[in-house]
Amino acid sequence: MAGPKKESLTIRYIMAFLLLFIMVFPYLYMVLNSFADWNQVDRKLIPDSFSLRSYEWLLSGGQAAEPRPWIRAFFNSLIVSTGSTALMMVTGIVVAYALAKLQFRGRNFLNNAVLFQMFFPAIILLVPTFLIIQRFGLYDSYWAMILPKALSLWAVFMYTNFFRAIPDTFIEAAKLDGASDWQIIFRIMLPMSKSITIVVFLFLFMERWTELLWDMLVVKSDNMLTLNVLLSQMFGPYGGYPGPMYAASVILTVPIIILFLFFAKKFKEGMQFTLK
Amino acid sequence: MRTRHNNRLGWLFASPYLLYGLIFFLIPLGWSFYLSITDWNLIAPVFHHVGFENFMKALKSPGVHAAFIVTFKFMIVFVPMVIASSLVVALAVHGLPRFKGLFLIGFFLPYLASGVVSSFIVKGFLSYNSPVNKFLRGTFSLDVNWLGTPFSALLVVSVIMAWKFTGYYALILTSGFESINKEIYEAADIDGVNGWQRFWKITLPLLYPALFTTLILSIGVTFGIFTEVYQLTGGGPNFATNTWQMEIYKQAFQNLSAGYASSVALIASVVTFISIFIIRKFLEMWGKRNGWT
Repeated sequence: MAGPKKESLTIRYIMAFLLLFIMVFPYLYMVLNSFADWNQVDRKLIPDSFSLRSYEWLLSGGQAAEPRPWIRAFFNSLIVSTGSTALMMVTGIVVAYALAKLQFRGRNFLNNAVLFQMFFPAIILLVPTFLIIQRFGLYDSYWAMILPKALSLWAVFMYTNFFRAIPDTFIEAAKLDGASDWQIIFRIMLPMSKSITIVVFLFLFMERWTELLWDMLVVKSDNMLTLNVLLSQMFGPYGGYPGPMYAASVILTVPIIILFLFFAKKFKEGMQFTLK
Repeated sequence: MRTRHNNRLGWLFASPYLLYGLIFFLIPLGWSFYLSITDWNLIAPVFHHVGFENFMKALKSPGVHAAFIVTFKFMIVFVPMVIASSLVVALAVHGLPRFKGLFLIGFFLPYLASGVVSSFIVKGFLSYNSPVNKFLRGTFSLDVNWLGTPFSALLVVSVIMAWKFTGYYALILTSGFESINKEIYEAADIDGVNGWQRFWKITLPLLYPALFTTLILSIGVTFGIFTEVYQLTGGGPNFATNTWQMEIYKQAFQNLSAGYASSVALIASVVTFISIFIIRKFLEMWGKRNGWT
């Protein structure tokens, strides 16, 4: 636990890589099975004969089941996740700027309200939020999936904490130069919070991308389903076709992993701040 | 004049929160209370006020009893599991001079998985003809019905969740390790402190803040389990994995008892709030008594 000694370092590396392998194994299993011959899916730990049949079957709609809009579902997920995440970022930044940097009566109250709401058990809101969406006539639309997730209390909280650490002198100097509050947000606050922005963005996006319960409740039509919900609905019916299900799993998982790897370096920096 | 302008500006910038808080917090909250004393079925235009009937029914229902117990069962199984695995990962990785980035990113990957996907993988992995089950049958003549047996179903869901959160919590614990001053260990070495004592007397106390965070986070997770249970067991077998979310979902959207489901949700929130409050206080006391905080 102290400074690692040299002879034990090799053993520790072996340990660490072994653990890493175990943790990544389910993903490997998924990818290999999606390319495996159908008679090997879930029959072998490491399949040894491969084909593209699962992907072809999935994207052409399959022989047994009715054609399923997998590609459409992928774009639905993209639209909903992007729209929702973009809104959560903007509202988070703007509200946090007010809570951290603007002087106004009621600010403390709002700060406490955010904290209170953040720790409030949200389960109680499920049914009435569904009813609100219905009353607004938004049932079965993109807005039904986006609007209730247009603001993240966690994002507000993170940005508020981060903005507080930025010295007021920057803002005062900018004000003297005649900058508006919007300019201060976009020219000073945001450039100074790049790494945390990446962390917040990634967490929000992946949470939105993998949401099940809400997206499943407010959407009915086949062509409105997100990929995650479609996959969930195919769980039973496609049970006899595990190969294509693995292919669909890969299509759902790979984009989010690519996104994550793309921002990995900044994410690393941002996490270091977040965890302190 | 100046303050009034600032007030207006402040509320203007905070207005997205006000709007959101009103539409997606205050109104649903009030509505939920109102619904909980009705017998509304989510569709019919007519409904009646039934007073506390829903609550009486809920307190006697096996589904609600199960949800109450199952949450604590998950806490007993999942929380130690995920804390142990993330401690192991953090211990294995921290202080290694090379591949830091690779480990951080690699161990974090499971956190990106959709619950639907991980459930599907596990279901396949544990299906009747899977290599695991063939091995168990062939070598130990063990025929395990993983998802059909109450305890193993709970265990499987816990493992999926632990897999997902281990990397994230390990990250928190690693930063805890890194905040520990190396000189303390050197001093302990000179004093001839053995490994076991070193862990209990030095590492654990200094790690306590990070450990506290992961404990609270993982306990919070147990109150919100839904996807994995919905995909794999539907709350069964015989309510063995019937979490609060599962019960509320079933009542509201399968049985269409919106009124009754709201009263269950209200009970769930109160139980969640009180449980987390008590556990938190208990953990703080535990830390204080040992002089860790």
